[in-house]
Amino acid sequence: MALILNEDEEQFRESVRRFVAERSPLTKLRELISSGQPFDTDVWKQLSALGLTGLIIPAEYGGAEAGYSILSVALTQLGAGLVASPLLAGMLAAGTLLRLDDQQARTRLLSGIASGELTATLAAAGTGTATVRANGDALTGEITPVLNAAQADVLLIPAVDGEAVVLFEVAAGAPGLEVTPLPALDHSRSLARVRLDGVPGTRLAGDAAAALDFAADLANLAIASEQLGGMGACLEMTTEYAKIRAAFGRPIGAFQGVKHRLAELRTTWELARAALRDAARAADERPADFPRAASVARIAVSASYVDAAVATIQLHGGIGFTWEHDAHLYHKNAISQHTLFGGPGKQLDRLTALLATS
Amino acid sequence: MSELSGTDFRNRARAWLEQNAPRRGGEQEPGRADIATQKAFQARLYDAGFAGITWPKEYGGQGLTNAEQIAFGQAARDFALPVGAFVIGLGMPGPTILELGSEEQKKRYLPKVLRGEEIWCQLFSEPSGGSDVAALITTAVRDGDGWVLNGQKVWTSGAQYSDYGAVIARTDPTVPKHNGITMFILDMHAPGVTVRPLKVATGAAPFNEVFFDQVRLPADAVIGEVNDGWHAAVVMLRNERVAIGTMAAPRTSPLSYYSLSGLAARLGTDADDRVRRKLAELYARERSVQLFGQLLREEAMAGRDPGPRGSVAKLAGAELGVFASQVAAEVLGPAAAASDRDEVRAVLNAMISAPGGSIAGGTNEIQRNIIGERVLGLAKDPGVDRSTPFDQLRVGTLRRG
Repeated sequence: MALILNEDEEQFRESVRRFVAERSPLTKLRELISSGQPFDTDVWKQLSALGLTGLIIPAEYGGAEAGYSILSVALTQLGAGLVASPLLAGMLAAGTLLRLDDQQARTRLLSGIASGELTATLAAAGTGTATVRANGDALTGEITPVLNAAQADVLLIPAVDGEAVVLFEVAAGAPGLEVTPLPALDHSRSLARVRLDGVPGTRLAGDAAAALDFAADLANLAIASEQLGGMGACLEMTTEYAKIRAAFGRPIGAFQGVKHRLAELRTTWELARAALRDAARAADERPADFPRAASVARIAVSASYVDAAVATIQLHGGIGFTWEHDAHLYHKNAISQHTLFGGPGKQLDRLTALLATS
Repeated sequence: MSELSGTDFRNRARAWLEQNAPRRGGEQEPGRADIATQKAFQARLYDAGFAGITWPKEYGGQGLTNAEQIAFGQAARDFALPVGAFVIGLGMPGPTILELGSEEQKKRYLPKVLRGEEIWCQLFSEPSGGSDVAALITTAVRDGDGWVLNGQKVWTSGAQYSDYGAVIARTDPTVPKHNGITMFILDMHAPGVTVRPLKVATGAAPFNEVFFDQVRLPADAVIGEVNDGWHAAVVMLRNERVAIGTMAAPRTSPLSYYSLSGLAARLGTDADDRVRRKLAELYARERSVQLFGQLLREEAMAGRDPGPRGSVAKLAGAELGVFASQVAAEVLGPAAAASDRDEVRAVLNAMISAPGGSIAGGTNEIQRNIIGERVLGLAKDPGVDRSTPFDQLRVGTLRRG
């Protein structure tokens, strides 16, 4: 019930924070931009070794069974450092599988996801609507953009079969599957277009609509966690700069035009953090409240992060608009995150619908 | 304090309240009860062991911790306690006397505050200095052993029924403004004290103006040290901000999501998608503000001082009120312009009151300064007022020299 972090969570936050500072500073992201690689495979191996890939996966599949709250804590630190990895894709796939009643699929996939050896993704661009059609077990259609589709060993694909939504498992390299990497705005995200032309898939058992609904809530929690981290990093960077940059004979933070803008951002960050803690706790302890809580957390942080990223550039002045400065990396991340898995309008629609059914 | 004793205290409080206090939304709203009823209720609350929960036993308190205080607050959330008249004394002058007052003052005044025998008000704001409280121009001049008070205060809640007030006045105008202020205990029944109701934008008069004409103050009326009254005022304002910031707005307040969504259904305006989306937005914002308040309370329970982050809660609450008013306008539609429905008029009244929330207890601008300087650690505003003697400063709309 408590919103504040417990001791385990505090410790885990510290170790992930240290990991990001030492092993994946922003210079890593700049290396990826130059090399065109989607993520650093060493960093990914180390993240798996730290146990991040198995946090929400039950012990019987080799996971830590530590829960969603601690995943949220970790994602916040990764978001603060703009760490590129297929973790979010894998967690959405794992969350979906955990809600499906398909024991064989879980056995087949979860231990690989938990160890980090298997890269999986959920091929859903937004909340819910499937645009792929199933004809028997052959899939045809297009989904864009899909997280880490170009690196995934396995794609979970929602498809319409008659009236029903069904989930299929499709292996990378399946005949008729065309995955085209797209130029991503956010350098820390790898996104691709997925086209299917009669691709053979494995039909997964269970209530796909319910599992996808849960995946949408999980996407809200996970992305809100990363967004809160990114927003916190923007705020910290800009506050520090306002202390050392002088103009008109004093530090710029002494001017109310700067000070009040930062105070406003700190206020929205504090509220968003409280909302995120509530959503993370709800995921573990109050499943019935989770959809609403996750939606509130996402709404509380999403636009505010964009606002903070814009303010970061603007309050830094000219230096903040240069390629060398990190501000644009956050700005691009903020815009991209704001639109993935349901942009602001869709989020509000979703919360409106959730409130109507309560 | 263990988890268990908090739960135990909460259960004990709830059991007592079930027997003794009206529920929220009932006929007897808090503050509406007359003073005699409120005094009788506070005395019973005291006898039951629920007044002054964290105050020391030697001054009539229970000598318990914040955890029990919070547990009581949780238990009391669904009840409309008729104790409005005591909120100020218990929340501001009381704790300040506890922290800075003399032993005699603590023994003389604190038990009577707790038992509801004496009501207190706080006399800070003046017409010429709202946000800039330290620019006050009410004076207290030494006269023999004591002092003589002259000037005017404004926005004084409860002055009309208060027995005592904590007043700050200028005792040395030749030094910078923060260094020449003293805080006094004022007998509100003393000759020369005049209280007049102050009618506000809603048409009601929930505040007063208080005038001082040659009011005599004894030497032992000083709280803390002479010319150190700004320190005492800061202690009191900090208590006020935490009180405002962590106050959980009741579900039934007219601008809450709960109230407005119910009203939208009754008025039929919830058929409009835009209205429903606005309400959802309000739900998200209200929930975030509530959760932040909960987080601050949890931190306090864990022994972490919320400190200046009380200003975050205060600012967020004020901004939420203004946003909720915009949502209310969408919910009401043309009924906002004219209506004879009581529930609509209650919402309109709350809408008209909302800007007051951005002023009372320190304006939004002042809160942003506090957050910027004391939470984020940004440089202070380099005002001339910190070093210039007060009698050479420009104050309010007055022009000097």
